[in-house]
Amino acid sequence: MQGSKPRRNRFSQTQSAWLLLLPFLITYGLFLIYPFFRGVWISLHDWNLLAVAFNPDAKDFVGFRNYERVMWGRNIEWGFASPFWQGLGLLGLAASAFLRWVDRLSRFNAIALGMASLLLVVLPGFHPGEGGRWYDRRFWPTVGNTLVFVGLAVPGVTISALLLAAALNKQTKAMGALRTLFFLSQVLSVTVVTLIWQIMFSPRQGLIANITQAFGGTPINWLTDQQFAMAAIVIATIWWSLGIAMILFLAGLQDISADIYEAAALDNARGVKAFWYVTLPNLRRTITLVVVLQIILHFQVFGQSHLMTQGGPNDSTQVLVRYIYQTGFRDSELGRASAMAVFLFVIMGAFSVIQFVVGREDSQ
Amino acid sequence: MNRAYYWLILCLSIPAFIWLVPTIWMVSLSFQPNEVLARTTSSTAMGLVPIPFTAENYSALFAFGQTPWWFLNSLIVSVGMTIGVLAVSTTAGYALARLNFPGKIPITLICLIGLMVPEQAVFIPLYTMFADFGWHNSYHALILPRMAVPIGVFLMMQFFRAIPKDIEEAARLDGVGWMQIFWYVMLPLARPAMMTLAILTFLYAWNDYLWPLVSAQQREYFTITLGLASIQSNFAQSEGLGRVMASGVIASLPVVILFLIFQRYVVQAMTAGGSKG
Repeated sequence: MQGSKPRRNRFSQTQSAWLLLLPFLITYGLFLIYPFFRGVWISLHDWNLLAVAFNPDAKDFVGFRNYERVMWGRNIEWGFASPFWQGLGLLGLAASAFLRWVDRLSRFNAIALGMASLLLVVLPGFHPGEGGRWYDRRFWPTVGNTLVFVGLAVPGVTISALLLAAALNKQTKAMGALRTLFFLSQVLSVTVVTLIWQIMFSPRQGLIANITQAFGGTPINWLTDQQFAMAAIVIATIWWSLGIAMILFLAGLQDISADIYEAAALDNARGVKAFWYVTLPNLRRTITLVVVLQIILHFQVFGQSHLMTQGGPNDSTQVLVRYIYQTGFRDSELGRASAMAVFLFVIMGAFSVIQFVVGREDSQ
Repeated sequence: MNRAYYWLILCLSIPAFIWLVPTIWMVSLSFQPNEVLARTTSSTAMGLVPIPFTAENYSALFAFGQTPWWFLNSLIVSVGMTIGVLAVSTTAGYALARLNFPGKIPITLICLIGLMVPEQAVFIPLYTMFADFGWHNSYHALILPRMAVPIGVFLMMQFFRAIPKDIEEAARLDGVGWMQIFWYVMLPLARPAMMTLAILTFLYAWNDYLWPLVSAQQREYFTITLGLASIQSNFAQSEGLGRVMASGVIASLPVVILFLIFQRYVVQAMTAGGSKG
């Protein structure tokens, strides 16, 4: 290395680039890309965790049988089995077509609403016919519970975060302090959150029960009552994850110029009216982004269900990730668990694409 | 500032207080004697004020329980993961943002695709892989998987792209190599972005639950998040409510302190992490 060429110019641009990329590419390939394909590979096998641990050859290639075992059944038929959801889907289809026709909906939103409605018409229609049954009775109810959780938590977080952000959108010390308070619970870990709320909801020791009793009411058995268990984990989740949504809304509100509000004030639109006619329309992109983000986040719910209710009572709070975890690590059925994980990935991937498209629209 | 503003503050203080109540309650219970808590959790002001007061729960925690050990594990894992993520993300982010090389666009796209893969979709294959290597119940098993997540690369890439080109070009004219530019020019400039990424990673590592749950089966390798989960299922019988709550407070302390000191960075980090992966 004592040539006339200065030592510091040893690497060309291409060499430097690859050298700098190498550490990341190795970990990325080894611990994300490879496991992903390996997961798909496992899902095509009858793969028992313990059996394979003792004898690496104890796995049988079964093709798509695991997917069939998880999602399908014997004598499955299609029809109008659940009029409520399918009716809602038809209504959604009609609404998206109509709103697009009268031009109240952008093409993107019309397609999104239409697709969601179509799924709502098609999916609940499958049901076991005469003498038939689902191979896995728990899978679709689990997916349903996850959707119910998402359907309650996402609007809950979004609406409360939006209202708070609109109220706290002033750069003063007091407002800053209040923002800090509302954001604080966001940094806690899921186990701390569930610890707090498990005891908050406890019918014997809980703060909520203590308050109900002080007013002469009978305490509710939140976590073991089928009617309230889901509500309980949704409340804990809203308390936990309001912060990010609020901050994203605050960032969106900063982008609305004060001129618009002044112009609106001249037209006598202040307070609630200004919020409805100025803030909401200008925040549409941010709202879509927050909703998609929250869907991705809450579809992966695990800790709240696992620690607060253990999926119960009667499987009413069993969610998809917890079912994957149990199938894999309690029942040792890695093949079936991986098939469900691939299912999860497909849904998450679809929402990530939506998020990406919305984000791109945002930056243009 | 007018009257309406003060009314607004006053009206918002009520929900803010309600929002804070669960946290206050946890802290308050952790300072009350277990014998009292076994009888009632609402001694003074619904239990929100720790009277009768004791600090015994904390001293007991440090005297016997495994909490200090778990706390240390969490610290090692979180700091290790933060350093690892920073190392691979700054280098790769710089290369993708500022260097030209054949294959740049496909590599960028491949990294982008990785943002779509959720942890829950790969934790089973990762488990079998690490089991084959015999790596479970170790610190590197808890650290390595997160280093592969491309979110950090994208945060750094976006940051480096925003730096004006002339700084680099001036150094190039002086005959400085690319590696030296990265190390001596770009890294010092990237400090704020690295800070944001560091906090994002630390918070994630400290609070992560699913991967430690499958990877660390021996109690000696539990992180505090995992340890807390293991004692909360049977808190009433084993150690007493006060002590479990004290563990919860200890487990939250680092992240809360981090949040209160670096609030701006934490908010930035969580929105960046939230909106991109």
